[in-house]
Amino acid sequence: MARKTPVLKVTNLMKAFGPVVIVSGFNLEVAAGEAVALTGRNGAGKSTVLRCLVGAERPDDGTVQVNGTAVSETNPQIRRDVATVIDDLDFFPDLSVVEHLDLFARAHGIPDADDAVDEILHEVQLVPQSGQLPGTLSSGQRRRLALATAFIRPRKLLILDEPEQRLDTEGVEWLADRLVAERQRGLAIVMASHDPTLVERVATRIVRLGDRAEVLVDE
Amino acid sequence: MSKKSRKLIRATPTAEEAAEATPEPVEPALERTFFFLPDVEPTVVDERELHDEMKLWRHGRATRTFGQVFQDGYFVLFSIVMVGAMLVSVVLRAQAGMAGCNTEACASGRLLLPSAMVLAAWALALGMAALFGPVLASAAEGFWLMDAPISRRRLLRGRLVVPLVAAFGVATVATALVGALSGLSWFQVIAWSAAAGLGSAALVTLAAAEQPRERTVLLKTLQATFATAALALLVVVIGVAAGWLPVSVVSVAGGATWLFAGVALVALFGMLVLLRVAISRLEQIRRARLLSGGSLVSGMQGAMYALDFGLIRDILVERKMAAIGHVKPTRGRGLGLSALIWRDAERLKRNPTAFLGLAASLFVPYAADALRMVQLNPLISGLALVAGLVPFLGSLRVLSRTGGLARSFPFKTAQLRTASMAVPAALALIWGLAASPAFIGIASTGADHSVTDGLTAALITAAAGLLGAVRWVTAGKVNFQTPMMATASGALPPGLLFNLFRGIDMVALITAPLILGAPGYWSLAIALAVFVGLRGSFNAEDLRAEQEQAKRELAASKQAAADKQKIPRPTR
Repeated sequence: MARKTPVLKVTNLMKAFGPVVIVSGFNLEVAAGEAVALTGRNGAGKSTVLRCLVGAERPDDGTVQVNGTAVSETNPQIRRDVATVIDDLDFFPDLSVVEHLDLFARAHGIPDADDAVDEILHEVQLVPQSGQLPGTLSSGQRRRLALATAFIRPRKLLILDEPEQRLDTEGVEWLADRLVAERQRGLAIVMASHDPTLVERVATRIVRLGDRAEVLVDE
Repeated sequence: MSKKSRKLIRATPTAEEAAEATPEPVEPALERTFFFLPDVEPTVVDERELHDEMKLWRHGRATRTFGQVFQDGYFVLFSIVMVGAMLVSVVLRAQAGMAGCNTEACASGRLLLPSAMVLAAWALALGMAALFGPVLASAAEGFWLMDAPISRRRLLRGRLVVPLVAAFGVATVATALVGALSGLSWFQVIAWSAAAGLGSAALVTLAAAEQPRERTVLLKTLQATFATAALALLVVVIGVAAGWLPVSVVSVAGGATWLFAGVALVALFGMLVLLRVAISRLEQIRRARLLSGGSLVSGMQGAMYALDFGLIRDILVERKMAAIGHVKPTRGRGLGLSALIWRDAERLKRNPTAFLGLAASLFVPYAADALRMVQLNPLISGLALVAGLVPFLGSLRVLSRTGGLARSFPFKTAQLRTASMAVPAALALIWGLAASPAFIGIASTGADHSVTDGLTAALITAAAGLLGAVRWVTAGKVNFQTPMMATASGALPPGLLFNLFRGIDMVALITAPLILGAPGYWSLAIALAVFVGLRGSFNAEDLRAEQEQAKRELAASKQAAADKQKIPRPTR
C-alpha cells in the first residue's frame, strides 16, 4: 500500500549548542492521522528536536518541512498549520483566561468565537478561573490554558512537549482522550512524553531516542 | 556538633524479626541509620553574633580588596570624576544664567519647579517604600533564619538604614539639581533639597512603621496627594509662562524659603519619632511580606546585571497583575488582526493609571518652552513621551520577548508588530496635536514658529517618542555568546552598552534634524526608515536562515536526483 503524503518531513536534522551536539542525523515522517511519541531519557534531545520542528531553534543542518513548506517560526503559513505546546509559551499578564482564548480564536478567524471559547473553557475545566489573570493560575491550570490555546484554533499538525506535565490524573485522562480524538479526525501529532500510559493510548508510532536523538526503536 | 553527641537509632527491623512477621520469602531489607538531635535544650542565640558571623562569611568570600577594585577601575572612576566635574560646571553656569532672568515666567519657574520636585520626590519615596517593603529580607534569610527562634527586630534593624539613606540621597540630589538649574540661590537650594531629602526619609520611616500592620490607605492617599500637587504646580508654571495665569510669585519667594526650611526640620523630628515606632514594630512583620520585597530585589538585580530595564518592568507588571488577580472579562470584537487591535483598545480601560503618565509627559513640551529650551524641546519631549507610551505597549512587549506566543498567531511578525503599535500610535498622534501649541510657542520667547512648522515639529516628536518606546520594548536580551569587547571594566558584550541607550537612540536620531535646524522632511524620512526596521520587516537573521535552508534543500534535491538509479533505454 502506498504511504500517505507526510504532513511533517524531517531529513538529517542536526543541532549543536557550541561544541555539544544535541541532535545528529534525525529523520522522521509523520502522515495525517498519525501520532508519533518521542520517548527517551532526559537529555536525549527530544525537546530540542521539537523546538526545531516548530522553528523555535534553527537547525545547523538538515531540513524540516510541513506540507512541503520549510519550517520557519516567522512563516504565517506554518503558524496557521502548526499548533504547539512547548515550554516557551508566554501569556499576556493583563488578559484573563477567557480573554486569551477569545483573542486566539478571533485572531485565527473563528466565526463563532464566543461559543468556541465557552466550549473549550468547559472542556479544560477552567470556567471558575475564566476571569483570573495568568499570574494567579496554578501551574496545572496554566498548562490547561496552554492546551486550550492549541485546541481552539485550526491546525494540521500538533506538536507537544511533555503535555501531561503538571496535569492531575483526571487531566491526563482527558488529554489522552482528546489526543486520540484529534488523531482520529486526521490530525498529525508529534509529542514527547515520559508517561507510558499516555504514549500507549495516543501514539500510533513510538520513536525511542538515544544519545544525540539517535533513533533506537521506531515501532 | 560533635560526633559523640549524635544518637544513632536503628529503625529497620532485623532480618529475624522480618522473617517472623512474614512467612513469605522477601528480599533482605537494607540496613538504614537515622540521625536525631540529642535531648538537650538548645542554647539561646545572640542575633548580633549571628549577624557578625554572616558578615564574616560574606567578607570571607570576597576575592579582591577595595584597593584592587579601585586600581582596576581607575579609568571608570576617572571618567566619572571628569564627567561629574563637567556636569557641576554646567549646572553652576546654568544656575548663574537662570538667576539673572527676572521675568515673571522665570520667577515662577524658579520657585515652583523645585517645589514640584520636592512633592514628586515624596510621592516617589512612598511608592518605592510600598513596592519593596521598605524592610525586606532575602529568600535565603527567610528560609534559614526566619524559622529560627531569634529576634527579628534585632536582625532587621540595620535593614531600615538602607532605604532611609537611599530616599534621603536621591531626593536631596535630584531637588538640588532642579533647584540650581531653575536659578535658586544656594541658601534656597539647601532649604528645598533638605525638605525633599528629610521629608522622603520621614515618609519611608512612616511606611516602615505601617509595614507590620499591612495598611496602605494612608500611604496611598499621601502618595496621590503629593503627586497631584506636583502636577498642579507644573500646570501653574506653564500657565504663568504662557500668560494664562496672572500669578505673581516673586513676593512669596522669601517666605517659601523659610517654609521649606521649617518643613525640613519638622521632617527630621518626625523621622526620629517614627523611627522608634518602626523599630519597635519590626518583630511583627510577616515573613512573606519581608521575602516579597527581597525576591523583587533579587529579580531586579538579575535584570540589572544585563542592564535589561524591560525585564525590570516585566517583573513589576507581573507583580501588579498578580496582586490584582481577577478582572471582569470582556468579549473581543472583529477577526484576524483587527481582533488584536480591538483587544489593545479594550485594555486601555484596564490600565487607567497609564494615562496619568502620558498626561504628565504632555507637560514637558510646555515646560521646556516656558523655560526657553526651544531648540532641545523635541528631544526632551520625545524622551518624556517614550516613558509615557511604554505602558501602552504591553502586547508588543509580550509578543517580542519570547517566540512562543507570536508563533501561535497566524500572522507575519511585521503584521503582528504593526497591529500592536496601532493603539499607541493613535495615542501618540493625540499627544502630538495636544502638544503642538508648545512647539508653535506659548511663552513669547522670541523663537516662535509658524503653525505649520510647530505642528510638524510636534508630530515628529510624537513619532520619535512612539518609535523610541517601540525600540525600548522590543529590544532583545543581551547576547553573551557573541565576541566580547575589551573595556577597562573587563570583557563586555557590545549589546550590554547599547541596552543603556535603547529608545533614547531612536529619539535622538529622529529629532536630530529638527535640533540642527534642517527641514522636517529629513526627520520624517528617518522616522519612516526606523519604523520599517522596528516592525521587523527585515530581520537579517531570519533572511540568512532562510537562505541557508534553501541551499540545504537544493543540495538535498540534487543529491536525490544523483542517487536515482538510471534505467537504460531499451535498444532495438
